[in-house]
Amino acid sequence: MRKKLIASVALAAAGALVLAGCSSRGGDSAGSDSTEGAAGFEAGSLIGVALPAKTSENWVLAGDLFTDGLTEAGFKADVQYAAAGSPVADQQAQIQSMVTKGAKVIVIGAADGGQLSTQVEAAKEAGATVIAYDRLILNTDAVDYYVAYDNYEVGELQGQALLDGMEAQKGDGPYTIELFSGSPDDANSSVFFDGAMSVLQPAIDSGDVVVGSGQTSLKQTATDGWKPENAQRRMDSLLTSTYNGDTELDGVLSPNDTLARAIITSVKGAGKDIPVVTGQDSEVESVKSIMAGEQYSTINKDTRALVTQTIDTVKALQAGDEVEVNNTDDYDNGSKVVPAFLLPPQIVTKDNAAEAYANDPTLSKLVE
Amino acid sequence: MSATAPILQMDSITKEFPGVKALADVSLSVGIDEIHAICGENGAGKSTLMKVLSGVYPYGSYSGTITYRGEEVRFKDIRASEAAGIVIIHQELALIPELSITENIFLGNEPTTRFGSIDWKGAQREARELLARVGLDEDPDTLIKDIGVGKQQLVEIAKALSKRVKLLILDEPTAALNESDSQHLLDLLRGLKGKGVSSIIISHKLNEIEQVADSITIIRDGRAIETLNVVRDGVNEDRIIRGMVGRSLQSRFPDRVPEIGEVFFEVNGWTVQHPVSAERMVCKNESFTVRRGEIVGLAGLVGAGRTELAMSLFGRSYGAYRSGTIVKDGKQVQLRTVHEAIDNGLAYVSEDRKALGLNLLDDIKRSIVSAKPERISRANVVDEYREHDVAEEYRRKLRIKTASVESGVDTLSGGNQQKVVLAKWMFTEPDLLILDEPTRGIDVGAKFEIYGIIQELAAQGKGIVLISSELPELLGLSDRIYTIFEGAITGEYSAATATPEALMKSMTSSAQKVTAA
Amino acid sequence: MSGISDLKKIFGTGNTSKLRQFGILFSLILIVALFQWLTGGLTLSSTNLIAVVSQYSYILILAIGMVMVIIAGHIDLSVGSVAAITGVVVARAMAEFNLPWPLAIVFGIVVGAAIGAGQGFWVAYVGVPAFIVTLAGMMLFRGGQVFIGNGNTVPVPDGFRAIGSGFLPEVGPETGYNNLTLLIGLIAIVTIIWRELRSRAVQRQMGSEIAPAWVAGIRVALLVGIVVVATLLFAGGRVGTSFPISGLILVVLVIVYSFITRRTVFGRHVYAVGGNSRAAELSGVNSKRINFFVMMNMSILAALAGMIYVARAGASGPNDGTGWELDAIASVFIGGAAVAGGVGTVIGSIIGGLVMAFLNNGLQLMGAGADTVQIVKGLVLLVAVAIDVYNKKQNRFSIIGIFTSKRGGNASVAATTPTSGAAPSATASAETGAPAKD
Repeated sequence: MRKKLIASVALAAAGALVLAGCSSRGGDSAGSDSTEGAAGFEAGSLIGVALPAKTSENWVLAGDLFTDGLTEAGFKADVQYAAAGSPVADQQAQIQSMVTKGAKVIVIGAADGGQLSTQVEAAKEAGATVIAYDRLILNTDAVDYYVAYDNYEVGELQGQALLDGMEAQKGDGPYTIELFSGSPDDANSSVFFDGAMSVLQPAIDSGDVVVGSGQTSLKQTATDGWKPENAQRRMDSLLTSTYNGDTELDGVLSPNDTLARAIITSVKGAGKDIPVVTGQDSEVESVKSIMAGEQYSTINKDTRALVTQTIDTVKALQAGDEVEVNNTDDYDNGSKVVPAFLLPPQIVTKDNAAEAYANDPTLSKLVE
Repeated sequence: MSATAPILQMDSITKEFPGVKALADVSLSVGIDEIHAICGENGAGKSTLMKVLSGVYPYGSYSGTITYRGEEVRFKDIRASEAAGIVIIHQELALIPELSITENIFLGNEPTTRFGSIDWKGAQREARELLARVGLDEDPDTLIKDIGVGKQQLVEIAKALSKRVKLLILDEPTAALNESDSQHLLDLLRGLKGKGVSSIIISHKLNEIEQVADSITIIRDGRAIETLNVVRDGVNEDRIIRGMVGRSLQSRFPDRVPEIGEVFFEVNGWTVQHPVSAERMVCKNESFTVRRGEIVGLAGLVGAGRTELAMSLFGRSYGAYRSGTIVKDGKQVQLRTVHEAIDNGLAYVSEDRKALGLNLLDDIKRSIVSAKPERISRANVVDEYREHDVAEEYRRKLRIKTASVESGVDTLSGGNQQKVVLAKWMFTEPDLLILDEPTRGIDVGAKFEIYGIIQELAAQGKGIVLISSELPELLGLSDRIYTIFEGAITGEYSAATATPEALMKSMTSSAQKVTAA
Repeated sequence: MSGISDLKKIFGTGNTSKLRQFGILFSLILIVALFQWLTGGLTLSSTNLIAVVSQYSYILILAIGMVMVIIAGHIDLSVGSVAAITGVVVARAMAEFNLPWPLAIVFGIVVGAAIGAGQGFWVAYVGVPAFIVTLAGMMLFRGGQVFIGNGNTVPVPDGFRAIGSGFLPEVGPETGYNNLTLLIGLIAIVTIIWRELRSRAVQRQMGSEIAPAWVAGIRVALLVGIVVVATLLFAGGRVGTSFPISGLILVVLVIVYSFITRRTVFGRHVYAVGGNSRAAELSGVNSKRINFFVMMNMSILAALAGMIYVARAGASGPNDGTGWELDAIASVFIGGAAVAGGVGTVIGSIIGGLVMAFLNNGLQLMGAGADTVQIVKGLVLLVAVAIDVYNKKQNRFSIIGIFTSKRGGNASVAATTPTSGAAPSATASAETGAPAKD
């Protein structure tokens, strides 16, 4: 009886060995020798693109552009969005899957740039090149490149537009404003905010601009998850607490279009005059709003240009060419200074909209 | 039987479940204006037959024919049978506690006005008439939860009447009722049969059947054994039992020579307050004793406070303790929790097996050790092999009918479930077992076995406190009987002095305290 | 006929709950096989298996605690928030007070225990339903997390990261595999064989029925085969990788908690309270204490899961733990637990969690979007529980039932109706009924 038992166990074990025997540790040799800037890799390889949840039009557009652009360039594209409910964990899993599938380059628009180090390091060890797209990945030396718009400049342009807009609308100061910043888990939020404050702070110090609620820190002004409902809720409370009397609100610094529209909705709901509201991203609805004279400005960070630049980087990596970067000093992620290629943003108001969107098939129709 | 055609004729009904023939070629004939009883042990197939009749098992899932009021019927569901005037009232009442009597009567069958809204005025009027017909003097707006089980049963019948019932099927209608409510119900059935309502009644209470039924069909192992005409055949309880078990039970109670020892358990001045209302005492200064090897009966009407007394002794599981002492083996003991009670050798077998006695999701072996798993554990780790052994031992000893002790207790019949409960408490090695209605809802054969177990426990020198609503059971088993009325002990009888009449008198009044020990 | 009933014994003796677990296991194998085929062999590659284990270890750890909560008849919605707040507290303690990481882990467990004791108190001793208490906890601790972390990501030191993203070291001779992983596999194989031999010896000694040797042989061979394949896959990944440390923590917890729930008096009491708390109390069980400890245990495991996640992510962030409670609850129900309590197993829940994990992973490998993944997961949950409910109504077990009814017919009935054989159990129990109270 016992003999039979042991015999069948041995048989099974032997069978299992045969099955598993083929998977030795060969996988790592292919990975370890492909370092950055080396001989490149095979054309037609898999390129992974991990983007955050579909919370704004731009991510959806970027995904489509990556799929088309990479396919056109002869690569196999694997573009994935994180789930809205648990974006970070989901994105982590997606990056792992891309590593498993043997992606040569992984482009990551991080859901939370601070929480991807393990996955990015795994990717690196498997021999993939990691490009941080739009949002920097923090606290790891496994990120190779950063491609983005110059976000500090975006902030500066927003701050300046706010001042210009209020001057045009109200004449001389002092102006009363409110500040909004982005999601605290997005490394860019503070960059936008700091850029804007570099313009606004001197005016606040001189008394020319007053922040009605007194809330001027990044933490106080943050909008969790970049969610419009959170911005709207905060604006509602501000209107109740600070602007329920005669106090006029002249301007609102909003970090992007989605939030700008939420803020305008809130102000309209309270029956107040719409203040000067900045924005960013050139979303269709906001461009319409600008043309209708509600939102004051947006930033044109043409997603096409950014995706094209990223795909060019991928192509350079494939060919084994030198990768083009234009900033090797400013983007310290906590572990290393990440070489970056920064594209210049453009401020758009009603005045220059037609010119700015001339090349955009959708937006150009709106601004005619 | 009757010259006219029967209202119901079921011919050669055979119903099979995968691998089991639940009904084999059963025929049943119920005459117009007749009360027809169906008797049989649990699992004999009574309920299956009624489910075939009422369309729970639709036409096509059984073979044979049903002829009702002269026509062959093929019910596809229970609504179809109700539309034809066949209404089944289950043992577990299908009433909604939070709704009123009227709402319950017309639930799913609401009378509507011309505009499609519910005609509550009309409903109420009709409800009042129906309540009068069943002899229930209650406001139709009363919520179901505010009336007793007996009255709820009457509401069920009123509900059936509202559906123009011609054939009423009652499954254990009096199982939860006290004597007077039962009597009222039986009278009502007798009254209804004169008014065009025939009844089929399934009951374990043979005395009631003897009293109310016109004819009796006995089912055993899925077969109709015989149909008796009560008057013509001179049917009595023993005759029915013989049919049901297929043998004659010489005695309803096994023989026993009591060996009674010293008093080892004493309760003095036991007073317990009702859990909700502070003025009400559910036990009033009660004192009693139990001797080793003695079976002590507690007689009382439902609601007299027997269960309350038992549970309050058992780790203060009921009400709020006010005063009184428990002395066991000469020492006063504190039984503040169930755990302490078990440790001090008490066991309480609840009257409500399913709600309070067993975890129906568990298997047999785990249930048996569940009151004292420590006995087969080391460092709180259960020894599963010993558990299996213990379970097998009890399965043999108590003759629990099951394929395996690994089976779930929910697969057992009521009698076997009760044996598992008894095994669970025997496993705690108690000195005193309080058995609260230990044979409720159990068929005749299993009852006899449980009586044997109780006597065996007494023979081992344990003290038994037996609570039962069935006087014959108390009289047949007890060495001594206390009577309880309204939370107080009103009498004490030795086996020799106890008669049904004397007990009933003490159970219904506290006029004079009887001590006839 | 006897051949088939013997065959069934491969998956344990007669007991329906064991058979049910086999059903879930069978689904898992089916899903893995399906994706192995659809992804061209990626699913069962070393890299992927290692990734799946480390990605889902924290959810599976939650499932262990959750199944106990659900068996006891409660639910815990706060686990994600408890995990998140523990993560940020521990991360900040290490960042600002230079707490050494081993102490930080202990500290995290203490935080979880404190939170759990609080929630347990409300549930067990005040009697507020766990749904409400933990819903409150969910909001409370989520807010607390953002408050403590300022909504920022708080990085953790490398030593701490080992519990989330660490691997076993490479030691011993060059074998082409990770030697420690091989060792663990070997221990598992020896244990499987030893246990089988021992249980047969005991059964023989007790004179109870023993499954034929060939049945035991196949059972052991199947298990050993699975372990060997898994060991070689985990040991054969990239150099520097192995069976993940987080996975190891999970395995230890599964073994410990399976033992606790099955074999200890405490575990028995959890089932008793969930199955029928009044009956349990009348059997001497202190149900308040059981409820208290079950809720507290859940929060401790949530704290551990939170720390493992933070260790893996390299930082604590404001999004940590969102939606975890739902994944954990789904795993438990796919694993065969009953909504009303009293039913469920640790192993079943782990298998249920793995079903979700491999679905997620397989769909991602195929390039399906997050939206598709969620739709599929939702459907799988619904179908899995629906099959369970259907089978319970039919009073027979699905897959085994299908096998046997096709061939013989009688076997499934024999397994489920061990009563007198006169009628199916549904009929028998309907007749006996529950008498009402006084």
